[in-house]
Amino acid sequence: MNGIHDLGGMHGLGPIDREENEPVFHAPWEGRAFGLFAATFVFAGYTVDEFRHEIEKMGHAEYLEHSYYEHWLVAFEEVLNKRGFVTHEERLARIAQLEQGAH
Amino acid sequence: MATHRKETDPAIRVKALESLLTEKGLIDPKALDALVDTFEHKVGPRNGAKVVAKAWVDPAYKARLLSDGTAAIKELGYSGLQGEDMVVLENTDEVHNVVVCTLCSCYPWPTLGLPPVWYKSAPYRARVVSDPRGVLAEFGVSVPETTEVRVWDTTAELRYLVLPKRPAGTDGLSESQLADLVTRDSMIGVGVVAAP
Amino acid sequence: MLLTPEIVPGLVAAGASARVAAHVAPRFRAGDRVRIRNLNPTTHTRLPRYLRGKIGIVEVDYGVFAFPDTHAHGLGEKPQHCYSVRFTGRELWGPAAPERDTLCADLFDDYMDPA
Repeated sequence: MNGIHDLGGMHGLGPIDREENEPVFHAPWEGRAFGLFAATFVFAGYTVDEFRHEIEKMGHAEYLEHSYYEHWLVAFEEVLNKRGFVTHEERLARIAQLEQGAH
Repeated sequence: MATHRKETDPAIRVKALESLLTEKGLIDPKALDALVDTFEHKVGPRNGAKVVAKAWVDPAYKARLLSDGTAAIKELGYSGLQGEDMVVLENTDEVHNVVVCTLCSCYPWPTLGLPPVWYKSAPYRARVVSDPRGVLAEFGVSVPETTEVRVWDTTAELRYLVLPKRPAGTDGLSESQLADLVTRDSMIGVGVVAAP
Repeated sequence: MLLTPEIVPGLVAAGASARVAAHVAPRFRAGDRVRIRNLNPTTHTRLPRYLRGKIGIVEVDYGVFAFPDTHAHGLGEKPQHCYSVRFTGRELWGPAAPERDTLCADLFDDYMDPA
């Protein structure tokens, strides 16, 4: 699809910001997100192509404004909901509980 | 859905997924621990540096590396996830190679570990294909006009590793000392290996 | 399958190659001049917009792989050849690009026509 991810040749995206000696994961949640790929890939039956496509379908502003592993979260949320493993409903309910400090 | 995503702390979003999947018996959180540990401590650019150093000292290995990157890299024990099909690109006086994935973030994990944020971000992905010399200059690399800059866009499942030029003044160094000189950026093509 | 920590090292070492062991005739050979198709699917593709309609040279036939455009949507692997195709910078970006510079991308049979 002709989405925002198809960036080759675009102008106006700003400077290449480099961080010296950056850590592999910038916060523990990123490591968990990384680990979730293999852990869900082996049972959920999606392909890496489908995973990428879910990211490509993101809103353009959201794609550019969110970090790399936040893109992965979008893909997990979509593929797991599609297949009924974790519905949006139950996930949002859990988020609400966590935001209230319940877990 | 999109509005909610913008407002929610990603740590909470991950915890929601991880806790639900664990409760349903679909994942084992210890497997996530193992994956994090592997990529924080066990897999990284020091692997690729060893491949480069061996190619510099062993012409027969270098020939194998350039003709079948997957097999030659596997000889050193590096293979697998996001490195199943490797191609090695030699930087010479004639050609300077630089690698990108404009569409996402494809990168050779077994030899270089996980990619840095700048590699996965929009500015690099957009600009290195259309202005590679400008990008290289920002990284402090200047390529003469007489050298071809060749950009490789990782659009399929091949993964690319640059074999940087061996710097002058390194004849006396051991393979291990040579490996210590090799930077991650030089194996992406946005850096060169400096003389010691 | 439940991924446990014991399985992780083997999984990381083995990976999951997209190569398919199928006998599929290649449509192109190294040295062929190709024109990239002007495809604009609303579904998944690994053909970047900046390559569409451009002329390049096939450098290497990498062999047979699953085709992402169909594989992403449960429409099967549709195995086909994947090639390294080289373009001049000027073909892609116009006369202001440095004369010598080139770009290589990995493209499938279904993305190209003979030129």
